[in-house]
Amino acid sequence: MIGAIALHESRRLRAGMMFWLLLAFGQLIIAWLSFAQLETFAGIAPQLKASGATLGAMDLVITPTFNSLVLLLLLCAPLLAMGSLAGEVHSGRIALWLSSPVSGTQIVLGKALGLWLATLPLLLSGILTLAALGFAADLDWPRFALAATSLLLFGLWLGCITLFLSSLFDHPAAALAASYGILLFLWLLDSLSGTDAPWYWFALLPHIEPSLSGLLRSQDIVFFVATAGAALLLSSYALARRRGDA
Amino acid sequence: MKPLLLARQVSYGPARNPRLIDIDLQLAAGDRLALLGTNGAGKSTLLQLLAGILAPAGGEVRVLGQRLDEAAPALRRHIGFLPQRVPAYTELSVTENLQWAGRLRGLRQRALQTAIERVLQALQLDKVRARLAGSLSQGMLQRLGLAQAVLHEPDILILDEPTAGLDPLQTEQIRELLGTLSANCSLILATHLLDDVQRLCDRVILLDGGRKAAEHTVTADTDLLAHFRRPMSDAGAGA
Repeated sequence: MIGAIALHESRRLRAGMMFWLLLAFGQLIIAWLSFAQLETFAGIAPQLKASGATLGAMDLVITPTFNSLVLLLLLCAPLLAMGSLAGEVHSGRIALWLSSPVSGTQIVLGKALGLWLATLPLLLSGILTLAALGFAADLDWPRFALAATSLLLFGLWLGCITLFLSSLFDHPAAALAASYGILLFLWLLDSLSGTDAPWYWFALLPHIEPSLSGLLRSQDIVFFVATAGAALLLSSYALARRRGDA
Repeated sequence: MKPLLLARQVSYGPARNPRLIDIDLQLAAGDRLALLGTNGAGKSTLLQLLAGILAPAGGEVRVLGQRLDEAAPALRRHIGFLPQRVPAYTELSVTENLQWAGRLRGLRQRALQTAIERVLQALQLDKVRARLAGSLSQGMLQRLGLAQAVLHEPDILILDEPTAGLDPLQTEQIRELLGTLSANCSLILATHLLDDVQRLCDRVILLDGGRKAAEHTVTADTDLLAHFRRPMSDAGAGA
C-alpha cells in the first residue's frame, strides 16, 4: 500500500501546474549554472595544468553545481510538499484517507516516498546534465556517484521534513511558510553560530557539503537518518492527533 | 445477533467543552437511520466517529463486534463514507478519482475495474468519466462522492448531508440514487431536510447540543417537524 500511496502522490503532483513550472525553472537554472561553472573552469584549466594543481572538473564544476542544486531543492520541495497533508485537510479529502483501511504510518511513508518521486525528475535531470561533462573532461566517477547518491538521498530527507511540516497545519500556505522558515534557519545555522555551539550539529550545510564533495562521514549519515526518522514519527503522531487518538 | 454497528456511550471533545456526550446507537443489517439536528448539534462529528475518522474520547464504536480504532484499520473496509465536502482531487479525472478511492479501500486490478464500471453506470457518471473532477457541476460532484463511497460495496453507508447545496432536481435524483444504492447495505444519514428522512430512513435520532435527545421510528405519517421542535422534551420516548 505504501508504494501505491507513493505513486498516487507523485501522480497527483504531476497533474498540477506547480510541478511542471518547477521542473522547467529548475532545468533552466541547472543549465545556466552548469555552463557558468564550466566556462569558469575552461578559463582557468590551462593555468591549473601548468601549476600542477590537482583540482579538476569534479571540484570546480560538479561540486559547486551540486551545492546549487541543494539550494534549488530547498526552494522547490516545500512548494511540492505544502499540500501533502495540509492540502488534504484544507480540501476535506483527509476524510477519504482516514476512513480507509490504511494506517497512519502507511500514509506518512507513502506520502514521503511520493514527494521524493516527484523531486526525482528535477534531480535526475541535474545529475545527467553534469554527468554529460564526462564526455569532455576527466571526472572522478566514484566521487561523482557518491555525490549524486547523496543528492538523491537529500531529496528523500527533504520529503520527510517538509511532509512533517505539512502535517502540522490545516492550510498549505501556512505549511509553505513554516517549511521555508525552518529550512532557511537550518541552512544559515552554521554561519550564525560557532562550530562549538551545541546547535551547530543541526546546521544543514556542514552535513551535506562533505558528501557532495565525495566524502562520506558517519556523523552526516546519523544526522540525516535521525532527523528523517523523527520527522516521519512526528508526522504519524500529528495524523493520530487529527483522529483524536494521541 | 451482533449489530452491524454499535456506538456505546460515545463522547468526543475536551471534557470542559465536549462536542458529543454519551451517545448510544446501534444499526442492524438493512437499517436506515437518520441523524437530525440543528447546526452544531454534533451530527457530522458523530458520523466521523462512526466512520473511524475520529477516535472517541470516551465510549467505543464497534463494527461487526470489533472495536473500531487505529489498531484495526481493516474494519473500515466495511464502511463507505461521504463527507459534506466531496473528497475528490479536482486535478484528476472522474475515473482516476474512483481508481484511487478503490485502491485505498483495497480493491485491485480486475475487481477495481469491474467496480468502477458498475458505479459509473449506477450513478450515471459514464459520460463524464474522462472529465476532471474540478470541472463537474455540484450535482455530478455529489454523484462522484457517492460513487467513491459505494465503490467497495460496504456493509454500512454513512452520508453527511448528501443533498446539501443541490437544486431541487438534483436533490430528487440523488434521493432516488440513494434509495437504490442503500438497498444492499445499512444507511446512516445526517441531514437538515425532513424530506430526506421521510423518504430514505426508517428511524431517526435527534441530536441537540451534542446529546441524543430522542429516537423515533419513521413512517409516512410521522410528524418529524413536531419532533424536531421539541427534541429535548421527547428524550427517550418512542414514536
